[in-house]
Amino acid sequence: MTSTPAVDDFVKSDYEHGFVTEIESETFPPGLDEDVIRAISARKGEPEFMTEWRLKAFRHWQGMAKPTWAAVDYPPIDFQAISYFSAPKRPEDAPKSLDEIDPVLRETYDKLGIPIEEQKALAGIAVDAVFDSVSVATTFRATLAEAGVIFCSISEAVHDYPELIQQYLGSVVPHTDNFYACLNAAVFSDGTFVYIPKGVRCPMELSTYFRINARNTGQFERTLIVAEPGSYVSYLEGCTAPQRDENQLHAAVVELVALDDAEIKYSTVQNWYPGDAEGRGGIYNFVTKRGDCRGARSKISWTQVETGSAITWKYPSCLLRGEGSIGEFYSVAVTKGRQQADTGTKMIHLAPNTRSTIVSKGISAGRSTQTYRGLVRIGQRAAGARNHTQCDSLLIGDRCTANTLPYIEVKHPGARMEHEATTSKISEDELFYCRSRGLGEEDAVSMIVNGFCKEVFNELPMEFAVEAQKLLSISLEGAVG
Amino acid sequence: MLSVKGLRAKVGDEEILKGLDLTVRPGEVHAIMGPNGSGKSTFAHVLSGRDGYEVTDGAASLDGVDLLALSPEERAQQGLFLAFQYPVELPGVNNTYFLKAALNSIRKARGEEELDAVSFLRLIREKLKILHLDDSLLKRAVNVGFSGGEKKRNEIFQMALLEPKLAILDETDSGLDIDALRIVAEGVNALRSPERSVILVTHYQRLLDYIEPDVVHVLYKGRIIRTGGKELALELEERGYGWIIDEEHAA
Amino acid sequence: MTAASDFTSWLDGGRTVSDGPAWLADWRARAAQRARVLGVPGRKDESWRYTSLSALLEQDFRPAAGPALPAASALAPALITGFEPHRLVFVNGDFVAALSTSGALPEGVRLGSLRERLATDPGALEGRLGRVAGAQAPLFSTLNAAGFQDGAALLIDPGVALEQPIELLHLSLGDTGAILAQPRHCIVLGEGARATLIERYLGLDGAGVCTNAVIEVTLGQGAELRHERLQDEGAASFHLSTLHLDQAPGSRYRGVNIGLGARWARTELHCGCAGRGAECDLQGLYLAGDGQLMDYHLDVIHSVPECTSRENFKGILYGRGRAVFDGRVLVARDAQKSDAAMSNRNLMLSEQAEIDTKPQLEILADDVKCSHGTTVGQIEPEMLFYPRARGIAEPLARRMLCLGFAGEIIEALSHEALREQVTEQVGARLEQASG
Repeated sequence: MTSTPAVDDFVKSDYEHGFVTEIESETFPPGLDEDVIRAISARKGEPEFMTEWRLKAFRHWQGMAKPTWAAVDYPPIDFQAISYFSAPKRPEDAPKSLDEIDPVLRETYDKLGIPIEEQKALAGIAVDAVFDSVSVATTFRATLAEAGVIFCSISEAVHDYPELIQQYLGSVVPHTDNFYACLNAAVFSDGTFVYIPKGVRCPMELSTYFRINARNTGQFERTLIVAEPGSYVSYLEGCTAPQRDENQLHAAVVELVALDDAEIKYSTVQNWYPGDAEGRGGIYNFVTKRGDCRGARSKISWTQVETGSAITWKYPSCLLRGEGSIGEFYSVAVTKGRQQADTGTKMIHLAPNTRSTIVSKGISAGRSTQTYRGLVRIGQRAAGARNHTQCDSLLIGDRCTANTLPYIEVKHPGARMEHEATTSKISEDELFYCRSRGLGEEDAVSMIVNGFCKEVFNELPMEFAVEAQKLLSISLEGAVG
Repeated sequence: MLSVKGLRAKVGDEEILKGLDLTVRPGEVHAIMGPNGSGKSTFAHVLSGRDGYEVTDGAASLDGVDLLALSPEERAQQGLFLAFQYPVELPGVNNTYFLKAALNSIRKARGEEELDAVSFLRLIREKLKILHLDDSLLKRAVNVGFSGGEKKRNEIFQMALLEPKLAILDETDSGLDIDALRIVAEGVNALRSPERSVILVTHYQRLLDYIEPDVVHVLYKGRIIRTGGKELALELEERGYGWIIDEEHAA
Repeated sequence: MTAASDFTSWLDGGRTVSDGPAWLADWRARAAQRARVLGVPGRKDESWRYTSLSALLEQDFRPAAGPALPAASALAPALITGFEPHRLVFVNGDFVAALSTSGALPEGVRLGSLRERLATDPGALEGRLGRVAGAQAPLFSTLNAAGFQDGAALLIDPGVALEQPIELLHLSLGDTGAILAQPRHCIVLGEGARATLIERYLGLDGAGVCTNAVIEVTLGQGAELRHERLQDEGAASFHLSTLHLDQAPGSRYRGVNIGLGARWARTELHCGCAGRGAECDLQGLYLAGDGQLMDYHLDVIHSVPECTSRENFKGILYGRGRAVFDGRVLVARDAQKSDAAMSNRNLMLSEQAEIDTKPQLEILADDVKCSHGTTVGQIEPEMLFYPRARGIAEPLARRMLCLGFAGEIIEALSHEALREQVTEQVGARLEQASG
């Protein structure tokens, strides 16, 4: 690709904004101790408070045991065999061209209609920049700055907004929360910080921008979104195209804080490499996501479409602490091959008149295992709390497993809680009806499954809803029959 | 018998009844008509003591007893009966048990003896006949699995059993086919007596072909804007509500 | 009194059935050993997540030194007019022949004391006693295996239909101290046999007794059992009961569990549909009032194709009542055409009541129809208004609606006299609650 001034600007502007972390091409030797933590912190030029924060987490982590309760099965991870700081891949190590990429992956890119340059980026091939995106990205930055929205990397935020970081980082997911969240706190590589000032409605979906830029944030990603009173933001992470990564273990942490009357809509499309047909080489995705509805009438809404990863372990949750606050969880998860997903949500009602909605649609095919694990807790102060939960599982093929494991704890009689769950295979009647109208079996399945997931797709931002449907159809190809 | 003066009531922040006056004498049948949203059902609910309505002003009394100070059951015990527009289903609650509890509560309040099982069943069979209801109904749960028509007939059957002084029929005609409507009307007519008054809350004139009212009122925006004889209903049927509303606005 | 650290005291000093065949002694010794190994389950144990054993550990329940010998009049309050079953009476876990009236049984039905059966005809129970519970039984079932005093043995030959119900009537009498009662019942229905079995557990003097009962049920091909369990122990009592059910092809089990009494009650229902086309219907009603805990664990396993199960449990909580519902339906690999529907509905009547419910589906086959539904709520205001508008005072209207809610389960009882009795008991408890 020829270099043009616009591309140069773009690259420079990235460095200026610190989104692509400037580091030397080097990788720490595998292993984890306090020196490594200090070195990570030093390398990122972090202030003292951040180094201490990481060390505290690390010391706690050393005393923790790996969680074993999830219905997933994988060989033990040797945490001393992982390198906790690695520079972005040097061009000479990366695949040289798309010809070196798994042909199955390429086929999928083509089906999704992803431009060739973006395909290269996704596959980890060294590219300079995606030309078309330059002007778009620059426009975004200007628009956001005008609205007073802060949208930058966590590393940058640590330097530029230390008071916000100190106030909010770890305030929703403390390092003591769980094994992987604690590890993340100690070694997190980078991630995203979003701050929406009081009364501001973020002028755009924070999605397209992210999609182009947020690569190489590494395996221990950390996201923090703070919505001040009366503000609104819609944030989308991930991408419908399958993403490859050399790091097998991913342990991200996402923290959301919504103050009075604020609303955060967080949508995820996760399509990490699930490994080959036998599940080899797939990503382990152990994520801690939690939203804190700290303010009265605040609202946090999680929407996710999960089709990737070899193993997923993820429970986007809402702490409903503000009176009248609302938590929502809409999820579609598709597993096939040897994929294992243990996912769900927690809705913790701590204040009066809080409301939550859970809609979970699971589709398991092949030899995959999928578990919905959810907790609805209605505390002693949560008068008038309401929850409605709908969990449906669809089974394709007789070698897969679908578990539905809800936990419901109600300590206030003024609460109203309804939970419904069903597990079945695709209705023969529906299939027959479609086929008698001339649809092929695969199309019929895809249509029925899309209908099954409709409620969730409706919650996605428009452009992604369309892509997610396409992704779902592609994911199911070959799973039928 | 019933005296309502300057009745005002709110649902949430919205005032629905805005100074309603109505007097019903013993033995009279009054029809309250009006367009949707005029406050007809609210009036029926406020009189019967349903939650969710706040009476802000005015008075309502039945034979001199202040209704507004009473709980719903006390109003029923005083002789007020509401035939519900949408009778509620009570799963698992046996109809016979329910009716017996209701009748005996009311009899007790009137200072009468509670009925024993035998005389209760005799009474109930007699009343069932009026409404052409099968006694299999007695074994079922209250309103559960009843068709729309059965529910409405069951309401009038309860009225026959409980013998109220004043019955308010809230859109009892809605959702009824012509045969069911005739049965319901016959039931109501059979219960007309010089001591018993009836208020028919209805949207359509149709019911009034079968139950002839003594007085017809038009309710609009929470007030009665016109009162007349049964011919008023016919006029409404022909001309709709628009003209009265126009005249009201002009006045 | 200091809290015990485990339940090993339950293993000591009991009047267990020690004489008898070698297989029996062997089995019991293994159970005792296993009970010691299992120790006390904690909150990390999924099936004890919401249930603390500390209240039970604080008590010092011991097997009684000898059987209680109550006068015949002790039975009077337990009898239900119009209900005339074949009756075996157990007092604190011991069979009391003098109070029992097993009457004339049809040919092919053997009913009597388990202890006696083991002494006179152990062959009839070999390979049956302990078989359904298996070697991996949970703690309290294992403790019972090691320490049961007596129980009922009911063996029905193939093709025999027993019309008159059989009642196992358990009376708890605590006047001789904190007694541990451990009855164990062994029920075997041959191919095509039919019977109705009622278990009642009553506390007549309000004293604190701990019952740890186990019942093993084997249903032969096409056999049908109606099994109804009414628990109305005294307010200071602890009650543990475990059902182990094994169903052959085409058999039908219809169970109703009514839990009203005891301070702390845990019921475990382990049901295995190991025969094609078996049907298992579990209904339950529990009331939990002040200081009571009602804890239900269902483990329904569809291990072969074409089995149907229904799990329908309803709870009414008031005062400081607590309930736990932990229901699990597992459809094993290749158990195609499984049909399971689980429902748990709860009415909360007071500010301090608490419910933890965990309806779980684990599905490893695809051609299945499985669902569960759970609700927690109060009486709907419009439902309460309707009877009030008919002149019925609020407390009665409330009670009427609660009884209506409970009625669905009570209706499932086989015998009119029992339905009336339970309706009355539920009504009385609700009246007390609102009083």
